[in-house]
Order: sequence, then C-alpha cells, then structure tokens
Amino acid sequence: SLGFVVVALDEPSPTIDPLTNQFGSLNDLSHELASLQDLAMRGSWRSILDKVSRARSLDLLTKPDDHLIYLSYNVLALTKLRRFSDASNELDSLHDFNSHHYKYETYPKLYHTRSGSMVPFSLRFIHAQLPFKLGNRQEGLDCFYLLLNFIRQKIKDKGIHSLQESVKIWRKREVFVLHCLIGHHLGAKEFNVCLDLIRHLINHDYLDPVLVSKLGYIQMQIGDFEGAKGSFHRVETMLNERKNDDSSALSEVEFRNLVNRNKALVFLVGKDYVSAVREYEECMERDPADVVAVNNKALCLMYLRDLSDSIKVLENSLERVPTVALNETLAVNLCSMYELAYVNHSEIKRTLSNWIARVAPDDFDASCTRV
Amino acid sequence: MSTTPQGIHSLAFRVMRLCKPSFHVEPPFRLDPSDLFVGEDIFDDPLAASNLSPLLSSHVNKSTDSSDMTFANRFLLHHPSDAMGFSGLLVLPQSFGAIYLGETFCSYISINNSSNFEVKDVIIKAEIQTERERILLLDTSKSPVGTIHAGGHYDFIVEHDVKELGAYTMVCTALYNDGDGERKYLPQFFKFVVANPLSVRTKVRTVKETTYLEACIENHTKSNLYVDQVEFEPAPHWTAKILKLMNSILQITRQLGKEIVKPPILVRSGGGIHNYLYQMKISSPGSEQVKAKRSSILGKLQISWRTNLGEPGRLQTQQILGNPSSCKEIELQVLGIPSLIILDKPFSVHLNLTNHTDSELGPFEVWLSKNSAHEKFVMFNGLQTMALPAVEAFGSTDFHLNVVATKLGVQRISGLIVFDTKEKKTFEPLADVEIFVESD
Repeated sequence: SLGFVVVALDEPSPTIDPLTNQFGSLNDLSHELASLQDLAMRGSWRSILDKVSRARSLDLLTKPDDHLIYLSYNVLALTKLRRFSDASNELDSLHDFNSHHYKYETYPKLYHTRSGSMVPFSLRFIHAQLPFKLGNRQEGLDCFYLLLNFIRQKIKDKGIHSLQESVKIWRKREVFVLHCLIGHHLGAKEFNVCLDLIRHLINHDYLDPVLVSKLGYIQMQIGDFEGAKGSFHRVETMLNERKNDDSSALSEVEFRNLVNRNKALVFLVGKDYVSAVREYEECMERDPADVVAVNNKALCLMYLRDLSDSIKVLENSLERVPTVALNETLAVNLCSMYELAYVNHSEIKRTLSNWIARVAPDDFDASCTRV
Repeated sequence: MSTTPQGIHSLAFRVMRLCKPSFHVEPPFRLDPSDLFVGEDIFDDPLAASNLSPLLSSHVNKSTDSSDMTFANRFLLHHPSDAMGFSGLLVLPQSFGAIYLGETFCSYISINNSSNFEVKDVIIKAEIQTERERILLLDTSKSPVGTIHAGGHYDFIVEHDVKELGAYTMVCTALYNDGDGERKYLPQFFKFVVANPLSVRTKVRTVKETTYLEACIENHTKSNLYVDQVEFEPAPHWTAKILKLMNSILQITRQLGKEIVKPPILVRSGGGIHNYLYQMKISSPGSEQVKAKRSSILGKLQISWRTNLGEPGRLQTQQILGNPSSCKEIELQVLGIPSLIILDKPFSVHLNLTNHTDSELGPFEVWLSKNSAHEKFVMFNGLQTMALPAVEAFGSTDFHLNVVATKLGVQRISGLIVFDTKEKKTFEPLADVEIFVESD
C-alpha cells in the first residue's frame, strides 16, 4: 500500500568539512545558481534568458548537469513569457530524457560514484504541461498519466534499493503530478474524475487540510452542499486535533485562515454576503497578505451593492502588499468593477495598467486589464 | 446591448449581470526547488541526500517570508496543492452570458454622474418588458435618491425570476434636474433573450394494470447542469413511484467521518441527457379509477437544478398525457372461431362484450359496417343486425354471430360495429379478425 508522508526538510546532517562541502550554497550546485534563482524569484524572466544565453555563448558551463539546470531555467523562462513553442522546441533538443547522456555514471571523472538521472524533474513536468498551452489537451493528459507511471516505477525501484530519501522525493513528485491532473480535469469540468483522484489521495492516508478544503470547493461547485459542509467540518476537526509537531506544512495562521475562508464560501453560496465578509475580514486581520480573502471579500461587497468599497479593498491590497496581491484574477475583477463604476473607465484602467507595467514581473499577463 | 440615449446627459446607466462568481482554475508553472536545482536522482547519493536537505529547506523558508518583496509565489510551490491551480479565488461574471427560463436574472445597475455638476431630484425606475408583460423592478419615487454629486454614482441590484421565453428589454430610466436646472429624462435599454434550458421528452407504456412513464431531460444550455430534484406530481387518483437502480458503488464510506460521497447527477451542456422512469398506478378503486383512466392526464414533472456554484433554476412541465386509447369503455373479445371454415357455409363466431364503465350500457345493435375501401367477403348470415341486451356496469355478455364467407383464402371479419341504442353511441371495438376459407 502507498503511504504518503509530507517531506520534512530539516534532517540533521552529518558533520562535514566546510572546505569540501559540495552543498554549502546554491552556487555549489551549479554555476551562479544563486543569481539565477534570485532573478526567478523577482520574476525577471527576460534577464534569465539573457543570463543563460551569455553563459552558453561564453562557455561558462563546464559540466553536463550545469547545462541541464540552465536549460531548465531557460525553458521555464520561455514558458513564463508565454513563448510556448520556443519552450517546446528547446525541450525537444534534449531528444530523450532517459538517454545515458544525462546520467551521472556516464561521467565518472566528474561525478565519481554517483549514478542515476541528472535531468531536473521540472523538465519532465514542463514537458507534460506545455501541450495544454499549445492546444493539445489530450497529449498533455497522456503525458501526465505516463509521467505518473514513470514516477511509480521509480518509487518501486528506489524502495527495492532502500534509498529512503529518494523514495520520499519521488513520492512528493507523485503527489505533485496527481495535483496537476486534478487541476487539468477541474479546468475541463470533469468533476467526477477530480473527485476520484482526490478520494484516491485521501484514502491512501494523504490527509492534507488544503486538499480536503478543495474537495469541499468542488462539492460546492456541483451543488453537493451537504458533502461540502462535511469536508469543511473535517478540516476544522483537523485543525482542532492538530499537534505542535504536525508537519502538514501549514502554519497556524494559514490553517486558521483556511477554516475561515471555507466558512466564508458556505455563506457566500448561501447568499449571506455579510457573514462571508466577516469571515474574510478575520482572515485579513490575521494575514493582510491573504489574497484569496481580500479578493473574495471585494466580490462579496459587490453583491452587497457596495461597488465603491469593493474597489477600495482591491486597490488597498495592491498598495499594501503588491507582490502578493498583484495577480491576473484580482486585476480582472478590479477592471470589471471599474467598467461598472465609471462611464469613462478607460482612463482609470490605464492608470492601473501603467502601475502594473512598473511593478509587475515579466510573466504578468497584462491583457487582463482589457485596455 | 445598450442603446445610447439621445442628447447629452449628465447621467448614464452601467449594468453588469450578477450571477454567481466562478472559481478561477489555471494549472500553473510552479516548482519545487528540489526539482530544479539538481538532477532528479541525486537523492540516491547518500552524501547529497543528507546535505541537500538543509540547503533546500533554508531556501524554502526564505522564499515563504511574505515580507520579502518577491514574486516567489508565482514561481515556487508554497504548498503541494498549489500545483492544482485552484486557490479558491473567485472571478466576477465576465460576460452577460445566456439567460434561461427558470433562473433568476440578477443585475447590478449603477447610475453615474459623469458631469462636473451636481444633479438633483433624481428618480430612478427599472422595468422589465416582455411580449406579454411589464414588470416593475425598482421605483425610487417613494424613497427618492435625491442628489448625485459630480463624479458620484447610485447603485442598485435588481432580481427577477424568469418565467417567460423570448425577447426581454430591461428599461432603466432616470428623471433628474441637471446642472442648469433643466428637468431631463434618460431612458436606457438593455436587451437580452431568454431561452429554454431543458426539454423533456416523455414516453408512456401500459402493461396490464401499470402505466410506465419514461422522462428524458435534455440540457440545451452551454453549461453543465446538476439535477437537484426531479419530482413527479401525479394527477389526482394516480400514484407514482420512481424506479431507480441502486448502485452500491455510489456509496463510498471513508475511514474518518464516515462520509457518503453523493455523486452529482450531471447533465452535460449542449445536449446531455438524463432519464427517469416512473411506475404509475391508479390509487383509488372503482369509479374514480375509470375517470382517471379516461382523463389521460398523468401529471407534471417539477425539475430543479443547479449550475455554477449552486445557481438554482426551476421549471415545471405541462401536463403529461398518457395513452387515451388505453381506457376502453367497451371491450370485445373473440372467444372462439371454428378451425375449419368452408366457402359459402355459415359458421359461428363466439364473442364476449365487456362493459368497463361504471354504469349500465346498451341495449346494443351489432352489425358489419358497409362503408369500407374493400369489398367484403365475410358477412352476417341472415339478419344483418344483431340485437344485444343491456350490460350492467363492469359486466359482460357472451353472444354468437352467424357468419358466412364468400371467397376462398385469407379473409377478414372487419368493421364490426357495436351501437348503443340508448346513448346513440357507436363503438368499433374489434380489430380485424383473419380467417382462412377453404373449399368444400
């Protein structure tokens, strides 16, 4: 049977000589990785393309795994910039992920006794995700299901060789791919498949309160209100029974906010917008960066006929916590509100659009403002 | 959809359909650092396994600090379920969409003063006009809006249960005094069309004493429909029982909470169907039974459904009719015909007449009709009309007809008429009877 454990990444490390530590910093892992990562965190994907291009042309990458990691950032940057064909072409240049060219043991002079694939797992993920963006949904689904089989085979192999750390990582990847699949089926409104996949996870002891909450949202979507309330109740029980060493990867604030947001949704669907607003305000009090609470509160205010305040809520969040609040969905909602509130809304939308252009990361899809 | 008003107005109406919001779903390109910084099998190496973890975890902790002004949450996974792309963020309706019979039309209406002057004594009205009627949704004359300052707006939300098909016009009007003190009238028109979301096809079959009603619901909308409830309301004196296949797979218990997951009855958009089967019986005996059978009205279906995020809709069908021919007043059965019928030799047909009504019928006259497309080769032998006595309620009588065939081969006894001489009512209760006529 499959048991899932959410990986706790704070294992004790054996004492190691700092001079020979290959894992002291990001730069030990790959050439100037810290800089690449920093650019990625800021959403400076164009700069990443430049950096990769420069590193390649100046021959700064000495090892095959460096090339692969740089390729991963490059492909990721291309997808972020919505250059999906270019990303796909670059991935294709690798031909076969499972080729011996990408195995550590092919280069004993560089990697000594290390064996296995040096392909960053992200490449396999992006390879499965891209078809959806290129309009080939069926191909994408096939890729993900094949990837799932691949992962499960890896878990078996690593288990046989008692490589427990690897088993943990590959199990995390299995959960990851299952979540991707749930998302894709959800986008296509294939709710029964989603419910099956979620049930599969829960029945195999993967008890994640966020996942159970999302189960509740799907139940709400299809009108199974009793089922949804049951799921939300379960999440509350998980919160109440929580122990201090709980590794569910949620902080106290996150957990409490989750419960409040679940309650808010029940009120919202029942058209009790006043109570929904109250729940969301509790969330925002605890964490002003809870963008789901902020966004959904603004919507509730609209349903309460308070267009002015709904606009204010969204504008305030953009001002106070821009890096968290700035997302395309919030911008779409704000623009809808502007279009309703102002006869000459193009001016105010342009103001928003200009602000976004100054503040937003490279991957922000500015078409959401409909300017 | 809005026709622009003539003249220059300080005020203008802005309208937004306010159906339920939608969940935003978009699977993202978000990663775990351990899937990007290193090869996928590096954790096979025990040295890597033990040393990478602290490096990665310290990096992850840094990136989840929200006071750090980065866009890490667009790139890294904060929580495993982020990969789903379903955070619970809701989106306002982005287009007017289609409106269907049985739903509630809800709209946010904002009237804006885009001039530089205050407008006074504002009276707002909103009305729905269809082919058949005008429905007032809002009239502020009793509770006046008063003044709208420059750049200001006044909002209202209107709701209307849609019960009619076809073209609708929502008329929003404002009466106001503009900056020059002139009394102005602003009408704005918003048009939409209401379509039928469902069609219901029925089939009625009668097997002995039981009538079966099969109803097929088809979804004509652009979105999936979740059937909340389908209730059959039988006509008086009928009972209906729904026939369902109880699938044990539908009931799944979980270890914790002992939940039963109720699968939705999904009827897919654009042509999806779902069938219902009802078993119907006459509930009251005797005379009522006959009335019920004769009226042939079986009942109505009440359908309630939900679309996006539980948005409700509700419709009732018209009266569903059964098979009127299934209720006979007079029944004629052939009890016996001789196996050997000889040309020109009279033979006897044994018949039974049953009265299915609750009152006496008759006396009767029985004859073979002469109006027919074909020439008749089977006729009464002797008197062309036979007299029968009256038959009491729910009673029957046996009689014999003396018949002769005048042509060889396969022939028919057809067009047998039973005439109620008292009520002056004609029945043709017998289908053609085939006989084989042989030669001597």
